[in-house]
Amino acid sequence: MKTLRPLLASLALAIAGGPAFAAEAVPWKDADYAAQFKYFQETEAFTPAQWRELLPEDQEQALRETREPARERQQAIQDYYTAVMTPWDADQARDYAGGTGAEDVAAVRLWLGPERAAAMQKKLSATRAALQAAETEGLTQAQAAALKPYLTQETIDGLRSMKAAEDLQRQADPARRANEIPKETVNAAIGGVSGAVGDYTGRSINKVFDGSTASGDVSDPVRAGGTAGKSYEIPREAVKATVAGATGQLGAYTARNTAAALGAAQPRGSTAATVKSAAPRPPPGTGTPPADKKSSAWTSDAYGYTIVANGQTSTYRSQKEAEAAIRALPAGSVSKITLYGHGSPGMQTVGDASYEAGDTAQLLKGKMAPGGVIQYSGCNTASIGDATLNPAVGLSMLTRRLMYFSLPYLQDRMDGVPAAQAKQQWEKGWDADLSRDTSLQMKGAIVCGYRTFGLVPGRLPGLTKLMGNQEATTPGYVAGKMVCYQDGKEVPAP
Amino acid sequence: MNDLSAILEILLLLGIPFVPIAVGVLLRRKFSPAPGAEGAAPAPMTGAQKAGRLAGTLLLWAGVAGILFVIVVALNFKGYL
Repeated sequence: MKTLRPLLASLALAIAGGPAFAAEAVPWKDADYAAQFKYFQETEAFTPAQWRELLPEDQEQALRETREPARERQQAIQDYYTAVMTPWDADQARDYAGGTGAEDVAAVRLWLGPERAAAMQKKLSATRAALQAAETEGLTQAQAAALKPYLTQETIDGLRSMKAAEDLQRQADPARRANEIPKETVNAAIGGVSGAVGDYTGRSINKVFDGSTASGDVSDPVRAGGTAGKSYEIPREAVKATVAGATGQLGAYTARNTAAALGAAQPRGSTAATVKSAAPRPPPGTGTPPADKKSSAWTSDAYGYTIVANGQTSTYRSQKEAEAAIRALPAGSVSKITLYGHGSPGMQTVGDASYEAGDTAQLLKGKMAPGGVIQYSGCNTASIGDATLNPAVGLSMLTRRLMYFSLPYLQDRMDGVPAAQAKQQWEKGWDADLSRDTSLQMKGAIVCGYRTFGLVPGRLPGLTKLMGNQEATTPGYVAGKMVCYQDGKEVPAP
Repeated sequence: MNDLSAILEILLLLGIPFVPIAVGVLLRRKFSPAPGAEGAAPAPMTGAQKAGRLAGTLLLWAGVAGILFVIVVALNFKGYL
């Protein structure tokens, strides 16, 4: 028995000392807990000094509780990085190039290492440079070849032909502007207008124009700011949700230990409460009203998006904000959306953004409520339609043919383009019906546009200054011949 | 052939606003007051004459406005306005 005493004593000592060994302090950035420490760094839950001050058992608890959130965050970043490094199409290239910030690269650097962050940065820089070059001097063969790892071949081809398209657009742009505000004619037509055009006056002018009483007005629009957001950013909401569970528990003991270490009686503010890059986005329909900043210019710079969803109306000037807000909306929630800007056959612009039928359909796919209305508030966003005896509509048709067929055709011929090619190109495009084409791609939705040039009294130089609506996001009254389509068939304006 | 037809079409389109001007001038001439005897005041216009001249005047100025409209559009398209 005596011989067993030392053995038993050793065993007892070992059992008693076990927890002490187990609760040994973990050094900051210990390789065995790499993910958790990255998580601490990103969430700023602890500084190295704070970590060292924690009791070993608290360290252990923190590491245990953040194991799962850290793993999920790592996976999210990995998925994000994979998406970023996949060759982009044109939309993705624009979105990533415009919407990826230094903080996104920093997150990749933290979680996946500096090499991957550098690769991502290189891709972003190359894409941004290519987009800029494509718009200005055009892409060279070498530049296009260098983009192969980053962009789809289709996108590269598109960028290479972008310069030519830009030139064409530039050629057409003055024409669009010209017909938005044909000053003498509009002045003659609405000579009595000295302020906001009332409903009655609006209906009357419309009736003069095309006999209709339809109006592009959005009743009682509530100005609201756009939601900030990027379509291809790191999935922060998901991260935040992941973090939320852990932070509550972490916060309690962190506060206790740090306060104790500092000798303070009060608990410290929750150091682990938020992910630094996870500022929650305001929901659509809230935020800073962008339309408050009014220009004092004599001419109008009015354009914007008006979205009516779930009974709330929101307006946006920024394409990015508007599109982010639309993407954030639940399916089937949009009862009306107005895209206000300049139009031309087959295309609607809203500020710098431009929409063809496919773009609109892609943006709004699944978002429209049954019978929801997509309103293009721009000139010539529908075909000219049947013959008319209305002289104003007739003049509009004539001008459209001259501007979008005859003049570009002759210009092309003077530039040496073969006659057949020039004719085919412009003959196809001058009477394009953006509204109908969109309705064919947006089953169930009602898509409205204008068969004619649209005259917006609120855009008249001088009047726009009087009314203070230089940066209006909704057109108000539009004198023009409106038409609506549903599934490609003409329907009455809702 | 394409070029010729395009030019003819342009001329036709540009000529359309001149049609009401021509019709207006014709109407105004047709319904002008009959000249009186030498030295005498012209005979007063009948109701039909007044209506005809009014229609002619309206067409004339509508045509002028249409031409101005097309000129403004063309100049704007070329970037001069």
